[in-house]
Amino acid sequence: MAAAASASSPTPHAAVTERRGIPGASFVEDVETFLNQSGLDANSSLAFLQERLQQYKIVEMKLLAQQRDLQAKIPDIEKCLDVVATLEAKKGTGEALIADFEVSEGIYSRAKIEDSDSVCLWLGANVMLEYSMEEAKALLEKNLENAKASLEVLVADLQFLRDQVTITQVTVARVYNWDVHQRRIKQATKEE
Amino acid sequence: MQKGEGSEAQVTWEDQQNINKFGRLNNRFHELEDEIKVAKETNENLEDASNELILSDEDIVRFQIGEVFAHVPREEVESRLEKMKEDASKELERLEEEKESILAQMAELKKILYGKFKDSINLEED
Repeated sequence: MAAAASASSPTPHAAVTERRGIPGASFVEDVETFLNQSGLDANSSLAFLQERLQQYKIVEMKLLAQQRDLQAKIPDIEKCLDVVATLEAKKGTGEALIADFEVSEGIYSRAKIEDSDSVCLWLGANVMLEYSMEEAKALLEKNLENAKASLEVLVADLQFLRDQVTITQVTVARVYNWDVHQRRIKQATKEE
Repeated sequence: MQKGEGSEAQVTWEDQQNINKFGRLNNRFHELEDEIKVAKETNENLEDASNELILSDEDIVRFQIGEVFAHVPREEVESRLEKMKEDASKELERLEEEKESILAQMAELKKILYGKFKDSINLEED
Protein backbone atom coordinates (compact mmCIF):
# COMPACT_ATOMS: atom_id res chain seq x y z
CA MET A 1 0.00 0.00 0.00
CA ALA A 2 1.41 3.42 -0.91
CA ALA A 3 2.56 5.31 2.14
CA ALA A 4 0.40 8.26 3.05
CA ALA A 5 1.99 11.71 2.72
CA SER A 6 3.53 12.98 5.94
CA ALA A 7 1.37 14.68 8.53
CA SER A 8 1.37 18.49 8.59
CA SER A 9 4.66 19.94 9.79
CA PRO A 10 4.86 22.87 12.21
CA THR A 11 5.36 25.46 9.43
CA PRO A 12 2.66 28.16 9.11
CA HIS A 13 0.76 26.64 6.19
CA ALA A 14 1.89 23.04 5.79
CA ALA A 15 0.25 21.79 2.64
CA VAL A 16 0.05 18.03 2.35
CA THR A 17 0.41 17.78 -1.41
CA GLU A 18 -1.54 14.58 -1.79
CA ARG A 19 -2.76 11.56 0.11
CA ARG A 20 -3.23 8.22 -1.57
CA GLY A 21 -4.10 9.75 -4.89
CA ILE A 22 -6.22 12.61 -3.55
CA PRO A 23 -4.67 15.97 -4.55
CA GLY A 24 -4.20 18.35 -1.65
CA ALA A 25 -5.67 21.83 -1.86
CA SER A 26 -2.96 24.43 -1.28
CA PHE A 27 -3.94 27.12 1.18
CA VAL A 28 -3.91 30.64 -0.24
CA GLU A 29 -2.25 33.15 2.07
CA ASP A 30 -3.14 36.17 -0.02
CA VAL A 31 -5.58 36.19 -2.93
CA GLU A 32 -3.81 38.83 -5.00
CA THR A 33 -0.43 37.06 -4.76
CA PHE A 34 -2.10 33.79 -5.58
CA LEU A 35 -3.73 35.17 -8.74
CA ASN A 36 -0.52 36.89 -9.88
CA GLN A 37 1.52 33.73 -9.35
CA SER A 38 -0.88 31.49 -11.19
CA GLY A 39 -1.31 34.04 -13.96
CA LEU A 40 -5.04 33.50 -13.97
CA ASP A 41 -7.74 36.09 -13.66
CA ALA A 42 -10.47 35.68 -11.10
CA ASN A 43 -12.92 33.90 -13.40
CA SER A 44 -10.47 31.32 -14.70
CA SER A 45 -9.30 30.72 -11.17
CA LEU A 46 -12.86 30.16 -10.00
CA ALA A 47 -13.45 27.77 -12.89
CA PHE A 48 -10.34 25.78 -11.97
CA LEU A 49 -11.37 25.61 -8.33
CA GLN A 50 -14.90 24.50 -9.22
CA GLU A 51 -13.45 21.72 -11.36
CA ARG A 52 -11.32 20.65 -8.42
CA LEU A 53 -14.46 20.49 -6.28
CA GLN A 54 -16.10 18.22 -8.84
CA GLN A 55 -13.11 15.89 -8.81
CA TYR A 56 -13.24 15.76 -5.02
CA LYS A 57 -16.93 14.94 -5.19
CA ILE A 58 -16.25 11.92 -7.40
CA VAL A 59 -13.57 10.60 -5.08
CA GLU A 60 -15.87 11.15 -2.10
CA MET A 61 -18.60 9.01 -3.70
CA LYS A 62 -16.10 6.22 -4.26
CA LEU A 63 -14.80 6.33 -0.70
CA LEU A 64 -18.30 6.43 0.77
CA ALA A 65 -19.25 3.32 -1.21
CA GLN A 66 -16.16 1.51 0.06
CA GLN A 67 -17.00 2.60 3.59
CA ARG A 68 -20.54 1.22 3.31
CA ASP A 69 -19.16 -2.12 2.10
CA LEU A 70 -16.75 -2.41 4.98
CA GLN A 71 -19.38 -1.36 7.49
CA ALA A 72 -21.61 -4.19 6.25
CA LYS A 73 -18.77 -6.72 6.21
CA ILE A 74 -17.74 -6.23 9.84
CA PRO A 75 -20.99 -7.34 11.53
CA ASP A 76 -21.03 -10.38 9.17
CA ILE A 77 -17.60 -11.49 10.35
CA GLU A 78 -18.63 -10.93 13.96
CA LYS A 79 -21.70 -13.13 13.46
CA CYS A 80 -19.49 -15.91 12.06
CA LEU A 81 -17.19 -15.66 15.05
CA ASP A 82 -20.23 -15.95 17.30
CA VAL A 83 -21.31 -19.19 15.64
CA VAL A 84 -17.82 -20.68 15.81
CA ALA A 85 -17.57 -19.78 19.48
CA THR A 86 -20.93 -21.41 20.16
CA LEU A 87 -19.92 -24.59 18.32
CA GLU A 88 -16.67 -24.67 20.23
CA ALA A 89 -18.48 -24.33 23.54
CA LYS A 90 -20.81 -27.20 22.61
CA LYS A 91 -17.88 -29.44 21.68
CA GLY A 92 -17.03 -30.39 25.21
CA THR A 93 -20.56 -31.33 26.24
CA GLY A 94 -21.23 -34.08 23.71
CA GLU A 95 -24.68 -32.63 23.04
CA ALA A 96 -25.73 -31.81 19.55
CA LEU A 97 -26.70 -28.24 18.77
CA ILE A 98 -30.21 -27.94 17.44
CA ALA A 99 -30.80 -24.89 15.29
CA ASP A 100 -33.60 -23.55 13.10
CA PHE A 101 -32.30 -22.12 9.88
CA GLU A 102 -33.80 -20.38 6.89
CA VAL A 103 -34.24 -22.65 3.87
CA SER A 104 -35.88 -19.97 1.79
CA GLU A 105 -37.59 -16.72 2.64
CA GLY A 106 -40.13 -17.39 5.37
CA ILE A 107 -39.40 -21.13 5.44
CA TYR A 108 -37.32 -22.59 8.21
CA SER A 109 -36.06 -26.07 8.92
CA ARG A 110 -34.44 -27.71 11.89
CA ALA A 111 -30.85 -28.96 11.87
CA LYS A 112 -29.03 -31.11 14.36
CA ILE A 113 -25.37 -30.19 14.44
CA GLU A 114 -23.27 -32.96 15.94
CA ASP A 115 -19.97 -32.45 17.65
CA SER A 116 -17.33 -31.63 15.15
CA ASP A 117 -13.75 -30.52 15.10
CA SER A 118 -14.06 -28.58 11.92
CA VAL A 119 -16.17 -25.97 10.19
CA CYS A 120 -16.37 -24.86 6.61
CA LEU A 121 -15.76 -21.23 5.79
CA TRP A 122 -17.07 -19.48 2.69
CA LEU A 123 -14.13 -17.62 1.21
CA GLY A 124 -16.00 -16.01 -1.67
CA ALA A 125 -15.60 -16.73 -5.40
CA ASN A 126 -17.61 -19.94 -4.97
CA VAL A 127 -14.93 -21.41 -2.75
CA MET A 128 -15.57 -23.02 0.61
CA LEU A 129 -12.79 -24.53 2.70
CA GLU A 130 -12.85 -26.79 5.73
CA TYR A 131 -10.94 -25.57 8.75
CA SER A 132 -10.40 -26.79 12.28
CA MET A 133 -12.14 -24.72 14.93
CA GLU A 134 -8.94 -22.96 15.98
CA GLU A 135 -7.88 -22.22 12.41
CA ALA A 136 -11.35 -20.95 11.57
CA LYS A 137 -11.38 -18.68 14.60
CA ALA A 138 -7.90 -17.37 13.78
CA LEU A 139 -8.82 -16.70 10.16
CA LEU A 140 -12.05 -14.92 11.07
CA GLU A 141 -10.32 -12.83 13.71
CA LYS A 142 -7.62 -11.83 11.24
CA ASN A 143 -10.25 -10.85 8.67
CA LEU A 144 -12.08 -8.83 11.27
CA GLU A 145 -8.88 -7.03 12.25
CA ASN A 146 -8.03 -6.26 8.62
CA ALA A 147 -11.53 -4.98 7.93
CA LYS A 148 -11.43 -2.69 10.97
CA ALA A 149 -7.97 -1.40 10.04
CA SER A 150 -9.06 -0.72 6.45
CA LEU A 151 -12.09 1.13 7.74
CA GLU A 152 -9.90 3.31 9.92
CA VAL A 153 -7.67 4.26 6.98
CA LEU A 154 -10.74 4.95 4.87
CA VAL A 155 -12.24 7.23 7.49
CA ALA A 156 -8.95 9.14 7.68
CA ASP A 157 -8.95 9.46 3.86
CA LEU A 158 -12.48 10.84 3.97
CA GLN A 159 -11.53 13.37 6.62
CA PHE A 160 -8.54 14.50 4.56
CA LEU A 161 -10.75 14.78 1.49
CA ARG A 162 -13.37 16.84 3.28
CA ASP A 163 -10.70 19.18 4.62
CA GLN A 164 -9.44 19.75 1.06
CA VAL A 165 -13.00 20.44 -0.06
CA THR A 166 -13.46 22.98 2.75
CA ILE A 167 -10.16 24.70 1.91
CA THR A 168 -11.16 24.90 -1.75
CA GLN A 169 -14.61 26.26 -0.93
CA VAL A 170 -13.11 28.96 1.30
CA THR A 171 -10.64 29.86 -1.46
CA VAL A 172 -13.53 30.16 -3.93
CA ALA A 173 -15.35 32.54 -1.56
CA ARG A 174 -12.22 34.63 -1.03
CA VAL A 175 -11.36 34.89 -4.73
CA TYR A 176 -14.95 35.90 -5.44
CA ASN A 177 -14.94 38.49 -2.67
CA TRP A 178 -11.61 39.86 -3.84
CA ASP A 179 -13.00 40.17 -7.35
CA VAL A 180 -16.11 41.99 -6.11
CA HIS A 181 -13.89 44.28 -4.07
CA GLN A 182 -11.67 45.04 -7.09
CA ARG A 183 -14.67 45.84 -9.28
CA ARG A 184 -15.98 48.20 -6.59
CA ILE A 185 -12.66 50.02 -6.43
CA LYS A 186 -12.50 50.31 -10.23
CA GLN A 187 -16.07 51.60 -10.24
CA ALA A 188 -15.24 54.15 -7.56
CA THR A 189 -12.15 55.45 -9.37
CA LYS A 190 -14.02 55.64 -12.67
CA GLU A 191 -16.69 57.83 -11.15
CA GLU A 192 -14.23 60.34 -9.78
CA MET B 1 -19.88 29.56 3.05
CA GLN B 2 -21.70 32.78 2.36
CA LYS B 3 -20.16 35.08 -0.21
CA GLY B 4 -19.55 38.33 1.66
CA GLU B 5 -19.58 41.82 0.27
CA GLY B 6 -15.81 41.97 -0.23
CA SER B 7 -15.03 42.02 3.47
CA GLU B 8 -11.58 42.85 4.72
CA ALA B 9 -10.97 40.06 7.24
CA GLN B 10 -8.06 38.01 6.01
CA VAL B 11 -8.26 34.26 6.35
CA THR B 12 -5.15 32.86 8.02
CA TRP B 13 -4.03 29.25 8.00
CA GLU B 14 -5.15 29.02 11.62
CA ASP B 15 -8.62 30.20 10.61
CA GLN B 16 -8.69 27.64 7.83
CA GLN B 17 -7.74 24.92 10.25
CA ASN B 18 -10.50 26.00 12.61
CA ILE B 19 -12.99 25.95 9.74
CA ASN B 20 -11.76 22.49 8.72
CA LYS B 21 -12.08 21.25 12.28
CA PHE B 22 -15.61 22.61 12.51
CA GLY B 23 -16.49 20.79 9.30
CA ARG B 24 -15.08 17.51 10.60
CA LEU B 25 -16.90 17.86 13.91
CA ASN B 26 -20.15 18.65 12.14
CA ASN B 27 -19.83 15.54 9.96
CA ARG B 28 -19.05 13.37 12.96
CA PHE B 29 -22.03 14.92 14.77
CA HIS B 30 -24.43 13.80 12.05
CA GLU B 31 -22.90 10.32 11.93
CA LEU B 32 -23.28 10.11 15.70
CA GLU B 33 -26.96 11.07 15.54
CA ASP B 34 -27.56 8.12 13.22
CA GLU B 35 -25.45 5.79 15.35
CA ILE B 36 -27.31 6.87 18.50
CA LYS B 37 -30.63 6.18 16.81
CA VAL B 38 -29.51 2.62 15.98
CA ALA B 39 -28.09 2.09 19.47
CA LYS B 40 -31.35 3.23 21.06
CA GLU B 41 -33.29 0.78 18.87
CA THR B 42 -30.94 -2.03 19.83
CA ASN B 43 -31.42 -1.23 23.50
CA GLU B 44 -35.20 -1.23 23.09
CA ASN B 45 -35.18 -4.52 21.20
CA LEU B 46 -33.09 -6.20 23.87
CA GLU B 47 -35.43 -4.85 26.54
CA ASP B 48 -38.45 -6.24 24.65
CA ALA B 49 -36.71 -9.60 24.20
CA SER B 50 -35.97 -9.69 27.90
CA ASN B 51 -39.62 -9.02 28.76
CA GLU B 52 -40.85 -11.64 26.31
CA LEU B 53 -38.53 -14.14 27.90
CA ILE B 54 -39.95 -13.46 31.34
CA LEU B 55 -43.49 -13.85 30.06
CA SER B 56 -42.83 -17.09 28.19
CA ASP B 57 -42.48 -20.34 30.09
CA GLU B 58 -40.51 -22.37 27.60
CA ASP B 59 -37.43 -24.19 28.78
CA ILE B 60 -35.74 -24.13 25.43
CA VAL B 61 -35.66 -20.78 23.65
CA ARG B 62 -34.81 -20.16 20.02
CA PHE B 63 -31.95 -17.69 20.28
CA GLN B 64 -30.42 -16.08 17.20
CA ILE B 65 -26.74 -16.84 16.75
CA GLY B 66 -25.33 -15.66 13.45
CA GLU B 67 -27.99 -16.39 10.85
CA VAL B 68 -29.64 -19.36 12.60
CA PHE B 69 -31.88 -19.79 15.62
CA ALA B 70 -30.21 -22.17 18.01
CA HIS B 71 -32.18 -24.04 20.68
CA VAL B 72 -30.72 -22.73 23.88
CA PRO B 73 -31.72 -23.46 27.47
CA ARG B 74 -33.53 -20.64 29.22
CA GLU B 75 -30.85 -19.73 31.76
CA GLU B 76 -28.19 -19.38 29.11
CA VAL B 77 -30.48 -17.11 27.13
CA GLU B 78 -31.11 -15.02 30.22
CA SER B 79 -27.44 -14.54 30.93
CA ARG B 80 -26.64 -13.85 27.27
CA LEU B 81 -29.37 -11.26 27.11
CA GLU B 82 -28.17 -9.59 30.29
CA LYS B 83 -24.68 -9.31 28.87
CA MET B 84 -25.97 -7.97 25.56
CA LYS B 85 -28.12 -5.40 27.35
CA GLU B 86 -25.16 -4.25 29.41
CA ASP B 87 -22.92 -3.91 26.34
CA ALA B 88 -25.63 -2.08 24.41
CA SER B 89 -26.29 0.38 27.21
CA LYS B 90 -22.57 1.10 27.64
CA GLU B 91 -22.27 1.70 23.92
CA LEU B 92 -25.19 4.13 23.97
CA GLU B 93 -23.66 5.99 26.87
CA ARG B 94 -20.31 6.23 25.07
CA LEU B 95 -22.00 7.64 21.96
CA GLU B 96 -24.00 10.21 23.94
CA GLU B 97 -20.82 11.36 25.68
CA GLU B 98 -19.01 11.74 22.37
CA LYS B 99 -21.95 13.78 21.08
CA GLU B 100 -21.82 16.13 24.07
CA SER B 101 -18.10 16.61 23.64
CA ILE B 102 -18.50 17.41 19.97
CA LEU B 103 -21.29 19.90 20.62
CA ALA B 104 -19.09 21.67 23.16
CA GLN B 105 -16.15 21.85 20.76
CA MET B 106 -18.37 23.15 17.98
CA ALA B 107 -19.77 25.86 20.25
CA GLU B 108 -16.23 26.91 21.13
CA LEU B 109 -15.21 27.09 17.46
CA LYS B 110 -18.34 29.05 16.60
CA LYS B 111 -17.40 31.65 19.19
CA ILE B 112 -13.92 32.01 17.72
CA LEU B 113 -14.98 32.09 14.09
CA TYR B 114 -17.99 34.37 14.49
CA GLY B 115 -15.78 36.58 16.64
CA LYS B 116 -13.36 37.11 13.78
CA PHE B 117 -15.61 36.92 10.73
CA LYS B 118 -19.01 38.00 12.06
CA ASP B 119 -21.41 38.06 9.12
CA SER B 120 -18.92 36.80 6.54
CA ILE B 121 -19.26 33.26 7.80
CA ASN B 122 -22.24 31.00 8.26
CA LEU B 123 -21.88 28.01 10.53
CA GLU B 124 -25.53 27.06 10.90
CA GLU B 125 -27.34 24.09 9.41
CA ASP B 126 -29.28 25.05 6.28
